[in-house]
Amino acid sequence: MKILVTVKQVAALDDEFEMRDDGRDVDEDFFEKDLNEFDHFSVEEALLIKEAAGDDTEVVIVTIGDEDADDALRTALAKGADRGIRVWDDSLAEADGIAIAKVLAKVVEREKPDMVFTGAQSADFGSAVTGMALAGILDWPHAAVVVNLEYSPGSNTATLRRELEGGLEEIMTIRCPAVLSIQLGINEPRYASLRGIKQAKQKQVDELSLDDLGLGSDGAAAASRVRRMYAPEKGQAELITGSAAEQAARLADIIKELRGM
Amino acid sequence: MLLTEHDPKDVTRILFQDFPTWMIVSFYIVGFLAIGVFLYGVWAQIRKYRRGVRSGAWSPFWPRFTGMFGKVLSHSTIKRRAPKAGSMHALIFYGFTLLFIGTSTITLDQDILGPFGIHFWYGSFYLVFGTVMDVAGIALIGGLLYMMYRRKWLALPRLDYTRPDRDPSEPDFDRSWYRREDWAFLWALIIIGVTGYFLEAARVVWLQGDPTVWDVRWHAPVGTALAYVMMGLGLGPEGAGDLRMGLWWFHGIIALTFIALIPYTKVKHIFTAMGALMAHDPESKRRMPSADVDSERIGIGYLGDFSDKYLLNFDACTKCGRCHEACPARAGGYPLSPRDLVLSLREMANDKFSHASMPEGPIEVIGDGVNMIRPETLWACRTCAACIEICPVGIEHLPIIIEMRRTLIEEGEFDPILQPTLKSLQKSGNSLGESKRKRPRWTRDLDFEVKDARKEPVDVLWYVGDYASFDPRSQKVTLSFARILHAAGVNFGILYEDEQTAGNDVRRVGEEGLFQSLAEANIELLDSCEFKTIVTTDPHTYNTVKNEYPEFGGHYEIEHASAMLERLMREGIIPTPVKLNYRVTYHDPCHLGRINGGDEPPRQVMGRLGVDLIELPRNRDNSFCCGAGGGRIWMADPPELKKPAEIRAAEAADIDGLDVLIVNCPKCLNMMEDGVKGTGNEGKFKVMELTELVEEAMGLKDAPEPEPEPESTPEPVGTA
Repeated sequence: MKILVTVKQVAALDDEFEMRDDGRDVDEDFFEKDLNEFDHFSVEEALLIKEAAGDDTEVVIVTIGDEDADDALRTALAKGADRGIRVWDDSLAEADGIAIAKVLAKVVEREKPDMVFTGAQSADFGSAVTGMALAGILDWPHAAVVVNLEYSPGSNTATLRRELEGGLEEIMTIRCPAVLSIQLGINEPRYASLRGIKQAKQKQVDELSLDDLGLGSDGAAAASRVRRMYAPEKGQAELITGSAAEQAARLADIIKELRGM
Repeated sequence: MLLTEHDPKDVTRILFQDFPTWMIVSFYIVGFLAIGVFLYGVWAQIRKYRRGVRSGAWSPFWPRFTGMFGKVLSHSTIKRRAPKAGSMHALIFYGFTLLFIGTSTITLDQDILGPFGIHFWYGSFYLVFGTVMDVAGIALIGGLLYMMYRRKWLALPRLDYTRPDRDPSEPDFDRSWYRREDWAFLWALIIIGVTGYFLEAARVVWLQGDPTVWDVRWHAPVGTALAYVMMGLGLGPEGAGDLRMGLWWFHGIIALTFIALIPYTKVKHIFTAMGALMAHDPESKRRMPSADVDSERIGIGYLGDFSDKYLLNFDACTKCGRCHEACPARAGGYPLSPRDLVLSLREMANDKFSHASMPEGPIEVIGDGVNMIRPETLWACRTCAACIEICPVGIEHLPIIIEMRRTLIEEGEFDPILQPTLKSLQKSGNSLGESKRKRPRWTRDLDFEVKDARKEPVDVLWYVGDYASFDPRSQKVTLSFARILHAAGVNFGILYEDEQTAGNDVRRVGEEGLFQSLAEANIELLDSCEFKTIVTTDPHTYNTVKNEYPEFGGHYEIEHASAMLERLMREGIIPTPVKLNYRVTYHDPCHLGRINGGDEPPRQVMGRLGVDLIELPRNRDNSFCCGAGGGRIWMADPPELKKPAEIRAAEAADIDGLDVLIVNCPKCLNMMEDGVKGTGNEGKFKVMELTELVEEAMGLKDAPEPEPEPESTPEPVGTA
């Protein structure tokens, strides 16, 4: 039995930063990179299922990224995952969720897992599209924003609860194998001690190229392209207090000021 | 002298006088049985200790032995903060030891040298011996009576064994067995002592017709005085002979039983305390145990992980309760008492490791079972080392707690609130979840440039530390210190973005892998810079760089800011023209005062500032922790419990007319400000760092200046 968990090394932004010269991203010097917050929960969910089922369930972590992403991989491995896969090709530098899903689909075909977990979204781009696209490409069932899961490896179905808009939740049964996008709060992710992360270096990590997956460099084309990235100008807010008349007077002043009267 | 009338050889005590042979044989059988039981017990205890990891803590043997011997003879560790109990223990100790030496002397004369026809226990030696024994007996009984009084009537909270961290329904709640054992111990010794005198008296009455006895009777004044009482009550020689025979057996059997039971009862502290004092590592409060982070397991999770030294520590505890009293976690109602921790582990070791065969499989020590250590107990510790400091027998509670925390960290068994902190430390080298870039941002508020020690040589490298870099309140102090150094013309620099936390609290929270990685990175960075000394305002950084970095190859000269300020003021480099007319009190930071002996320089500085220092009741090595240490500053204190800082703030509030509670550590500042608010004392007095007062006295700061007092001006004007 096997659960595949896809993870991402995300960039956290300092409160002071500069844009890259081409204006299409933030200068990398201002990033602090880390394992995506959502992925802590999906990895934990896989590990909990593995621990409840016994040792013959394998948890495989897959990430797409350059060597920097090894850090994220090792954090997940330190928590107790069995092995890792890192796929990279320079042509993936500007990959979007669709491109990533195409690559992941090839990994899934290769690994043949019984279940795939992704984080509900990435903490940096937040498009929440990869899991859904992956399921679409594989033609597998998909459930997004999963907040509770009952699943034992090898079973044909899983019962889950997912968040809907407006505070609603739905309970559903899903056919397996499936792709589940895991929401924050589904569990309490464990801590990977630095000692554990270092020792995770001894765990197997397969480094794959697009060729290894049978994808040419155009096999994982992005569906979108970032044209420009910028910090929107900040608006202002003011709390108007006082009596109704005072508030009205202040409001009138503001309107006049804005209209340049 | 009376002795001249007799052949000195006749002046002695004839052992087994008038005993039939079967009685003498029986006595020797009982005696050897007792010694056999004693030796078996000693062996079983040693076997128990040897089931732990070998520590080699007793070598080099002789320096450790003489050090221990000095402490035992002087009773210095027992008298500390309890002079009365310590002196009374000394009476018992010296009385018991002398009486033991006395009995051994008789054995030497009778059973060892006697068979070769050599005797020395007669004549003047015998007479002096008797007097010494009588005095020793008085000391022993006097000391014991005081201890009975102390246990019964003083009702000291520290001698109450009921556990604050257990429910009355739990089997290890009140440990009434310990109480019964305490009393049995006192009574047994007192009965042995008193029957000894009665025996002595009965013999004098019985042998009043024998001039070699009667003429020298006053060499044993207590026994003889008692003999007169007996005779006054109408006891004749014959009755006394019977009484002597009965008492002889009673006294002998109790004494032999006592000896046989030494290794099985609290009496074993005679040996275990000496063993623990010998093995005690004076660095144990400053430096946490080294560990191989690449090994399969780390820390202590199983009973067999404890070293022989720690297993002996558990048996050395005499339940004196000084650690229980000193512990800030215990005082606040947290589920930790260092005494109870040690006693739980003692019971567990006795239960599991005392039998002929070892139990199968590893024995978990952390959990909720009876005598197991609960995770919340380990997390309550502030690593202030008050327990180690005051333990009279040299038990090392703190490293034991840290070793168990290492297991909890690896297992992820900790307050979830700690996880983001540890992740931030892993990623950015600070505990406040800030980016590396932000670390030196405080320097922007200065009107001069702080040198970058990474790029140019400096005399003094300032290791700023986490709270001093990021915490808004502490940043003010950091700026003060920068201005002082600048004004004093000190050539100093900082490490800017590359500084990471030194790791004192990371190590004490139990994240050893992270600590070692931080230490290695910091040492590599420091080694790449050119500087003469390091200074820091943070006692935690000070402790770790000074005491823990050498293990990783970092050997630096480091000074705490208060010591540096004292030196600069003494050398006249920092003038303090403004006299501060404040009434102040001073809260010693644990990591500076108790742990590193840095309690004098800050007081010297205060002396030069002219402030009126009123000491807190607990100060210097007995300072009461603010509650921040050991990573506790990163965890929440439950609102229903009293924060150590609130207890401390209340102590300060008791000082009449207090203006400033002076602290000397960024973490103390953070905690004590909360403590003052939490106790409703906000506005009554201020919490300030010593550095801020120095800056005020230098006149660098636009502070509300007190009226300069005429008598405080350095040169009197207009004197004729």
